[in-house]
Amino acid sequence: MPGSRILRALVALIAVAFTAGWWLTRPLTIAPEDLPAHEPDSLAGERIFWAGGCASCHASPVDGKRAKGDDKLLLGGGLELDTPYGVFRVPNISSHPEDGIGTWALVDFVNAMQRGVSPDGLHYYPSFPYTSYARMPVADVMDLKAFLDSLPPVAGRVAPHSLGFPWSVRRGIGAWKRKYLDVAPIAPDGSSELVERGRQLVEGAGHCGECHTPRDRFGGLLRDRWLAGAQNPEGKGRVPNITPGGKNISGWSAADIAYYLESGFTPEFDTVGGSMVAVQENLSKLSGEDREAIAAYLKALPALE
Amino acid sequence: MSNMKSRSLLVAIAMAFTSPLFAGDDPVHERHELMEGVGDAAKPIGQMLKGERDFDAGVVMASFETFDDASAKFGGLFPPGSETGEGTEAAPAIWEDRDGFEQALATWADAVDAAIAAQPQTLEATKPVAGEIFKACKGCHDSYRIKDE
Repeated sequence: MPGSRILRALVALIAVAFTAGWWLTRPLTIAPEDLPAHEPDSLAGERIFWAGGCASCHASPVDGKRAKGDDKLLLGGGLELDTPYGVFRVPNISSHPEDGIGTWALVDFVNAMQRGVSPDGLHYYPSFPYTSYARMPVADVMDLKAFLDSLPPVAGRVAPHSLGFPWSVRRGIGAWKRKYLDVAPIAPDGSSELVERGRQLVEGAGHCGECHTPRDRFGGLLRDRWLAGAQNPEGKGRVPNITPGGKNISGWSAADIAYYLESGFTPEFDTVGGSMVAVQENLSKLSGEDREAIAAYLKALPALE
Repeated sequence: MSNMKSRSLLVAIAMAFTSPLFAGDDPVHERHELMEGVGDAAKPIGQMLKGERDFDAGVVMASFETFDDASAKFGGLFPPGSETGEGTEAAPAIWEDRDGFEQALATWADAVDAAIAAQPQTLEATKPVAGEIFKACKGCHDSYRIKDE
């Protein structure tokens, strides 16, 4: 019968489409044998911890306010990010064996940070900025794990995210990643060692682009508008353009930028504001050379208006 | 003096002491100008600390005096009714947590007093006392100022 043949073809077509979709959205990971030969160094990892600002999201809030001082090292999570997609709840990444990530293998951690895949093979939402961390040197990620292992365990599991459909379908993130998870450097090649060092910090661990670069309608960063300023994801106003072409800091010298990141004061001696307060506090813990590298990288960027 | 006249005089006096006008005609504008002056005074010290400008003890002390003057006036420029207007960056926390705000201002005033008492004559001596003042600026801004950009 022709009818049943059409039906059979339709079923076969759906099966092919489904299989292709399943294949396209599958989590891609790094194998343990692909990790570089590198002895993780906790001290080096502390630098990455502050450069990445892990505490800004993962430190448990104290009395409803962001953690200060040594409380930044208690990574029990629990912060809620209220976004147009729903509420993201920041997980516990302390060294606690059940509630945190204390039992994770090194390769699990690398896959979470650089491929956005959990140890049980699920996609993470890009609210966890692994699209930036994917550009970090793998050795830095391994060092970071060693530092996190040295921090105190914090008990308490955080409730799952509350997202609306279709955002609630995790598998769909696989398709998103195909388009937006790109490990290639963004700005043109660094001319000096200092600029290259700055690139690793800005494009990778520092994940500066997540706020300073505008996004398309699927939430992917517009690479041709890299660091050229964007709508503030956390409320009113705009996040400044930090390329040499923007009005915000084009008049600042590299020394001004480095001093701002160290002290929180602009060249006009106004103080850092908004979400940048926490970022600046973290970056003040880096070495002066790291801050000079960040400044050198920003100065080397193409000027966008 | 007629009854009428003395009454309106009383009303005028009462108004002068109770309305926001007591804090000046326009507290939002006044406090903004005051802070601009503080920023202008902080700048040369910052430039000396950054090594962009030669140390000058006279300039440093003049800036400390500007801070002293401003810290004495600043707390009075946030009367009820001045929460909004003219692009103010004042956070609602100033009115919701007045004690905390006053405390933050006191920290600033104390740091300025200590700096003036120290009369620093070298860059090395200026660093720690100016550092305490700047820390107070930042501490208060973090909690009591809203900055969109």
